[in-house]
Amino acid sequence: MKKIYIFIALLTCLSMNSCKHDEWFERDPKGMITDEQLWNNPELVTSLLANYYNRLPTLHGVFNTGGMTELDDAMWSGHRDQNWRNDYQFGDDYGRYWDYGFIRDINLSLENIETQGVKLTDAQKRLFKGELRFMRAFVYFEMVKRMGGVPLVETQLVYDFSGDPTPLQVPRAKEYEVYDFIFREMEAIKEDLVPNNASKTRTNKYTALALESRAMLYAASIAKYNNLMSAPISTPGGEVGIPASMANDYYTKSLKASKEIISGPYALFNENPDKGANFYDMLNKKTGAEVIFAKDFATSLKVHRFAYDNIIKSMTEDNESSSTISPSLSFVESFDYLDGTKGTLRNKDAAGNYIAYTGIGDIFANKDARLYGTVIYPGTTFKNNPVRIQAGVAVWNNGSYQLSISAELGKNYTDGQLWTGFDGPKDDATDVSNTGFYIRKFVSDAPAASTRGTSAANWWPWFRLGEIYLNAAEASFELGQTEGLGYINLLRQRAGFPANSLTALTTDIIRNERRVELAFEDHRYFDLKRWRIAHLVWNGSENDANAVVMGLYGYRVVRPGYADNGKFIYERIRPSRFRRARFFRLANYYSSIDQTVLNNNPKIVRNPFQ
Amino acid sequence: MKLNFLMTLTATASLFLAGCAYDNFEAPESTLSGRVVYEGNAVGVRNNGPQLELWEDGHALKSKIPVYLNQDGTFSASLFDGQYKLVRRGDSPWLQQATDTLIVNVKGNTTFDVPVTPYFTITNESFQKSGNTITAQFAVNKIVQSANVELVRLYLGKSILTDQVLRDLRVDGNVGSLVFGQSTVIAGEIPDALKNLDYVFARIGVKSTSSSEYIYTQVQKIALK
Repeated sequence: MKKIYIFIALLTCLSMNSCKHDEWFERDPKGMITDEQLWNNPELVTSLLANYYNRLPTLHGVFNTGGMTELDDAMWSGHRDQNWRNDYQFGDDYGRYWDYGFIRDINLSLENIETQGVKLTDAQKRLFKGELRFMRAFVYFEMVKRMGGVPLVETQLVYDFSGDPTPLQVPRAKEYEVYDFIFREMEAIKEDLVPNNASKTRTNKYTALALESRAMLYAASIAKYNNLMSAPISTPGGEVGIPASMANDYYTKSLKASKEIISGPYALFNENPDKGANFYDMLNKKTGAEVIFAKDFATSLKVHRFAYDNIIKSMTEDNESSSTISPSLSFVESFDYLDGTKGTLRNKDAAGNYIAYTGIGDIFANKDARLYGTVIYPGTTFKNNPVRIQAGVAVWNNGSYQLSISAELGKNYTDGQLWTGFDGPKDDATDVSNTGFYIRKFVSDAPAASTRGTSAANWWPWFRLGEIYLNAAEASFELGQTEGLGYINLLRQRAGFPANSLTALTTDIIRNERRVELAFEDHRYFDLKRWRIAHLVWNGSENDANAVVMGLYGYRVVRPGYADNGKFIYERIRPSRFRRARFFRLANYYSSIDQTVLNNNPKIVRNPFQ
Repeated sequence: MKLNFLMTLTATASLFLAGCAYDNFEAPESTLSGRVVYEGNAVGVRNNGPQLELWEDGHALKSKIPVYLNQDGTFSASLFDGQYKLVRRGDSPWLQQATDTLIVNVKGNTTFDVPVTPYFTITNESFQKSGNTITAQFAVNKIVQSANVELVRLYLGKSILTDQVLRDLRVDGNVGSLVFGQSTVIAGEIPDALKNLDYVFARIGVKSTSSSEYIYTQVQKIALK
């Protein structure tokens, strides 16, 4: 009997109370974020955007040490396991980029933010969607400049399980249609991005205009210069090749975008009275108003090892690696002298005799200050310490100089003075310059930046005002207008030239300015491609000063009793680690499309020469 | 103890000797070899330059087999027996015929000459040495009517691999005065680096504007001593 009471009591307790807290069963999962949470929380959307910003594509940029040594501006002097960079040929797939995974992620986000983001304000939605559409256009730009016209997919493609995949097979758009898409998108979103105008790491109105300025310039020069080739590269369907008649329109659009940026809140970086150091500081410091859009890094949070890879040998703070990028002689010579003469270094006179210089850096005197800001050459400093670059001694013996180098770096010669400097250069050596030059641009001088424990945190500029000036100059020159001269003279003035140092522009001057101003910023490969001169500059010839990476070694003269004793002479050399001249074939103007892509989608036409 | 040893031995033997049946694939044993020809003559190309492509039908996914050419226009590839399709790629000194495939039946060691249509041919070439000068005499013929000559060049080198990329001397001929079918002359001074050799190698190359590759004569060995 007692049991029945207990039973009833238990039943009452259990059944009466327990069901009032349904929400107890409906807790948010701790291990995942639902679509509903994500698209209604601006902070979560921002962190999703951070992931996408981090995935923006580049070929030789974002501190890609290896990529920077694959052209004519530099060679690889690091570990021998990557010496193939000095001994390779551009393959048909060089630069191939086909990232529809990223495109799909962005398309998915654009759709979800619309359908699920009910709590976001209209302004927030417009801003986020603007950023997403900028990134999508950026990815398409990267694809079109490497592959030609690609399928333009602007929505999620979902398979309906009908057994017929043809709705998913999108054919390639014409090359100009992709450029038009970029222009259209940037025009549509630029006002939506205004709230970001104070940011340099999220896209704003001027970032959209900068992409427009660059992309329209690319389209214009392809339209013009491809059709000037004796056999233009094109496909019958226009997937590759832009009609020449469109060039003017594209140049006009590029110039208009550039001018809007120039009249915006940006200014050329000019904080250091030393012009050379100023050019280095421009990208190394995060101050000033030059950089429009950058990929930022922060110590202990997100770092890169560009300084570890490339710190000059005598200033290494870590072991195993340094001095990887060795800039080439042809690159150093592309910097003009401040009096306006060509930058060819005068190491020998007309009769073929050495010219002796008092200081080891004197041969570089009066050069464009951007040389100092980009390259470490003999006689300069880094982190306020003098660099120790000297290849050896030149001993006068029986009527000629004999060049002698020490077996060990940093040793003294029998006369008690320096033999070979601790920074080399040394031929056929690893982790020391093989050309006689080191890279300064982008190599951080912050304390411990070249250690693997701390690493560097200087940022990567996607767009900066210097490029916009050059874009504007090129576009206006091509349109037959004169204002371009002023833009280039401004850049040259910042580099130490007198005001109005040029009186007229030519295509060669504009192209050379781009090479020296934008070196190692992931421009040169694409610039030479769009001007259709890559196959002429990198002609594969083992005797060509541009296709082959050369070096310049300085020697101290040992000739007691003569005026030249203790002075320096220079010898042009071909580093023995550099094995094969750069050879760009017509097939490299558009990378080949992966066979799996062709297998999966029969509507994709191949690139020319593929 | 003895049993243990035997067991270990048996186990080891079965592991090491028997386990590999699944990853042993048969290696291709047939060889396809041949030349790239125009009117029966092999076409000289750059070493490691132009390529041909082989494709095999009957598989769900396709993947090409690249065939590299020697500088004298010969090639060879190790293949399985079967029917292949051969494609003449673009960016070569001959017309691209990407859709006009050749059917190649490989059975055992097969020889197959690939006919191509070069933009130009070089005929009647001869090389004379007098003093330190090498004089080349040759005729350039236009084969593809729409093609234009960009460059005509004489190359000297110290190895048999002499071409636009590997060479010690390059002399440009005058394209403006070139008459198709007529004899032309290019002369070049032997550079100092080659003067003391026993022999040098000489070659003529012609580049059309439609391709980045030159068509070459066969390499001529010229005795200097």
